[in-house]
Amino acid sequence: MSTLTYLQAISDGLRTEMRDDDRVFVMGQDVGAFGGAFKVTDGFLDEFGADRVMDTPLAESGIVGTAVGAAVAGLRPVCEMQFADFVACGFDQLVNVAGKMHYRQGLSVNITVRLPSGGGFSGGPFHSQNPEAWFMHAPGLKVVAPSTPEDAKGLLTTAIRDPNPVVFCEHKNLYRRVKGEVPAGEHATPFTARVAREGDDLVVIAYGAMVHTALEATEDLDGARVMVLDLRSLVPLDEEAILAAVHRCSKVVVVDEANQTCAAGAQVAALIAQRAFEDLDGPVVRVATPDVPIPFSPPLEQAVLPDVERVREACRELLAY
Amino acid sequence: MSSSRTETGVVDVVMPQLGVSVVEGTVVEWRKAVGDRVEADEIVVEVSTDKIDTEIPAPAAGVVSELLVGAGETVAVGMPLARIEAGDALTDDGVPAEGQPPASGGDDAGAEATGNGAGRRLSPVVQRIAADHAIDLSEVEGTGRDGRIRKQDVLAHVETAQAPLHTESPFRPESVPKPESAPVGGTLSRMRRTIGEHMKRSLETAATCTTWIEVDMSRVERERAALGLTALPLVARATIDALREHPQLNAWLEDERHTVHDDVHLGIAVSLDEDGLIVPVVRDAHDLSPEGLGRRIRDLARRARAGELTADEVRGATFTLTNPGQYGALMATPVISQPQVAILDIEAIIKRPVVVAGPDGEDAIAIRPMCVLGLSWDHRALDGVLAARFLSAVRRRLEGGPS
Repeated sequence: MSTLTYLQAISDGLRTEMRDDDRVFVMGQDVGAFGGAFKVTDGFLDEFGADRVMDTPLAESGIVGTAVGAAVAGLRPVCEMQFADFVACGFDQLVNVAGKMHYRQGLSVNITVRLPSGGGFSGGPFHSQNPEAWFMHAPGLKVVAPSTPEDAKGLLTTAIRDPNPVVFCEHKNLYRRVKGEVPAGEHATPFTARVAREGDDLVVIAYGAMVHTALEATEDLDGARVMVLDLRSLVPLDEEAILAAVHRCSKVVVVDEANQTCAAGAQVAALIAQRAFEDLDGPVVRVATPDVPIPFSPPLEQAVLPDVERVREACRELLAY
Repeated sequence: MSSSRTETGVVDVVMPQLGVSVVEGTVVEWRKAVGDRVEADEIVVEVSTDKIDTEIPAPAAGVVSELLVGAGETVAVGMPLARIEAGDALTDDGVPAEGQPPASGGDDAGAEATGNGAGRRLSPVVQRIAADHAIDLSEVEGTGRDGRIRKQDVLAHVETAQAPLHTESPFRPESVPKPESAPVGGTLSRMRRTIGEHMKRSLETAATCTTWIEVDMSRVERERAALGLTALPLVARATIDALREHPQLNAWLEDERHTVHDDVHLGIAVSLDEDGLIVPVVRDAHDLSPEGLGRRIRDLARRARAGELTADEVRGATFTLTNPGQYGALMATPVISQPQVAILDIEAIIKRPVVVAGPDGEDAIAIRPMCVLGLSWDHRALDGVLAARFLSAVRRRLEGGPS
């Protein structure tokens, strides 16, 4: 057990899996000599060599496509998109090829695609997005989004070992901001939700960076006991954990950093409406980024992203309902 | 709410299981009203299942606090019919302690109870908890926006209020039944209604034909005198033997489904005089001798008239005998009891001059005890030839064959 940042935990998980399993290798832009845009793979080239730490051209379609082929051949590639936003260029290979291979040909596509996601640091419209819902909508892909260093390592380990293509949404704004105890050596986390804080007056359901926003917003909320449920995995979605939380609390705020329409939280809200109707004591409230690109301007970005104050207000409103 | 409430029990009077196949019953008549004192095992209510009427005793002594089902209403087995406030929660004058809901709710009270919290917006969870704990939401103070009742309000009410009468039973009547509205003479009319429905349904269902045969009962008369029986068990035994010979008549026809039975479960129509008619069943009648049949028929008839039959004793007949002949009638066209395919009617045994064979084979006129047997049969299941053969088989056994 050691205290690592979120970013170090990702590196640790990746390195551990590469040491344990020769089939695991990484591909991406500048992942080798430069150590990755965010230094996740810093030192990997020296330890594992250029055959397992492959610098690629600036072509996401080629990265994902190559990884699909390697996976079909029996390897376990881990692709890094320099920014999650750029995965759009690899969309066809991911959604149309990787996601459907099992259904069309019965082949396992054991790839992990790391998406450095999210905003909050003036990255602007091309370096701040949260594209997880694009892939939630595509059958055959799993989508996970850790919020803590421990889960970053654990979920990455599980993703690498999962025989299906897994989209791993790591939040850039947590990379160096969040630190925590991380088990040394092998550490795998199941694709299930986690109760980040117990409570029974209201539950905030979130994932990724918004878990921290939710925890801060509800830490001291007029004495209310607010549960925070960290989804961790969006596909598969831990429906039973969600329903259990709603049954207990009866009031729900769902927080997304992604744009509001058809976001992961929309799916959660729909699930609750359908299967937890009789547990509800108020409307299911959503807090998300409005349907606009993330602005470059820091004040504008702060205005659109859900923050502690917005989440707190939403909770207060609902608690008083 | 008085504290004695929680220290004493509230006991349910439930719809009992009146037979293994019985799933529901109808309240015929309340013998007790709300506020009445009852002793343990005292009759509280009369219920009816199909054709059987049963009196239900109080499971404990106390005061009737609620009647949950009105006369004429049908409820499932196991459902509470009434509540008895047992033991000490009584004031000296024998009425329920202070805090009990009043016995007779007017129309206004009924409407209020029906729309639990009507007019206010209630969340699903509040309504669910209120229903689970039988809470009248009009008594709950809302602390939410604009006085809205929140989950914690109703939960607090559950905790602080008196123990609910019944958490295990979500059943609540629409309103407190008014004793004066109970139908008059419900027992009689109900049995008549049931008989009427059955008979009407049979005539609408079956292609009913009736075939008669005349039987010389001389031998039966001799035998029954020797055995000390009526003619009925002897005819029953002959009928059973004829049914074994012609099993197509020992059958059920349910829509397209035709079931021929090996065993004979013989329905015997028993008149309850003005009250109506009931048909107890001699199960496995084929196993019984005429003496055994006689005993069983006597027992069933006695208990039918005493109202002591269980529901299972009036079900499952494969063939039915009816003998209004004991009252002197000559002929009838009985109605088949569905889903059976035939019914045998035994008419009066009357001495008549008949042509018989003399000692030398010549025709002679003799005085014989004659009886007409009428068989109503369902032309959907069989044809007249079979009906005639069956009747002839019965006659052969009654006149000369082994009885």
